[in-house]
Amino acid sequence: MSVIEVGFIIQRPPYKSETSTLGVTHAISYQVVDMLLEEGQGVTPKVCFIGEGVLNCISGQKAMENYGVTSIESHIKNALLVDLDLYVCKEDLERFGISEDRLIDAEDMGADKKLQVVPFSEIQKILNNSKHLLVF
Amino acid sequence: MKLCIFVNDFKTVTDTVERLSAEKLGLIFIQNGVFHATIKENGKSSHLLEKPASFYVLAEDLATRGLTDADVDKRVKIVNYGDVVDLIFNEYEKIIWL
Repeated sequence: MSVIEVGFIIQRPPYKSETSTLGVTHAISYQVVDMLLEEGQGVTPKVCFIGEGVLNCISGQKAMENYGVTSIESHIKNALLVDLDLYVCKEDLERFGISEDRLIDAEDMGADKKLQVVPFSEIQKILNNSKHLLVF
Repeated sequence: MKLCIFVNDFKTVTDTVERLSAEKLGLIFIQNGVFHATIKENGKSSHLLEKPASFYVLAEDLATRGLTDADVDKRVKIVNYGDVVDLIFNEYEKIIWL
């Protein structure tokens, strides 16, 4: 069994560019990569929001109403719904004064996974264990 | 000079904004600039709010990012698109976008 971890680092804030959206949707796309691999092989994406990237994780985004685009909140909820592991840097949340109760939750969609608020030291371990890193 | 500056990013434009001055200065926080009006990094408001200026933030861009009126610093007035048009035509002579 050979499973490769791929680390997605999202460090840009939302909506000014498509960068953070692409990071999340790219990670979601890894759910279908398995069909292209040999039996026993796998890819596990790990998405980490750090720096200004944590600003993507605030709930209640009204992007469709105001910009006519799917919100990053929707993409993050879909990522949780397909059981991706998403991590949010605790120190950066605190730095920006964002409490954990303001973070996106996909429980209303039936997701079992939640955004995991972890210290940067944990994110560092994830990055260390990842074979490839993609920065958005 | 009556100068209005659209601040549309969070980190990258602050150096330029800090150096600009005018007889009458207005900062309109739009797009990711709205974080200047709402986020208290390490418990401190954006240093842009220390400038001798009038501050405005676009309500639609706040809502898009999941931010509410309660998040906005008291020095900043919340405006909509119509208000921004009025500011451009009635209050300022020059407009720049950073």
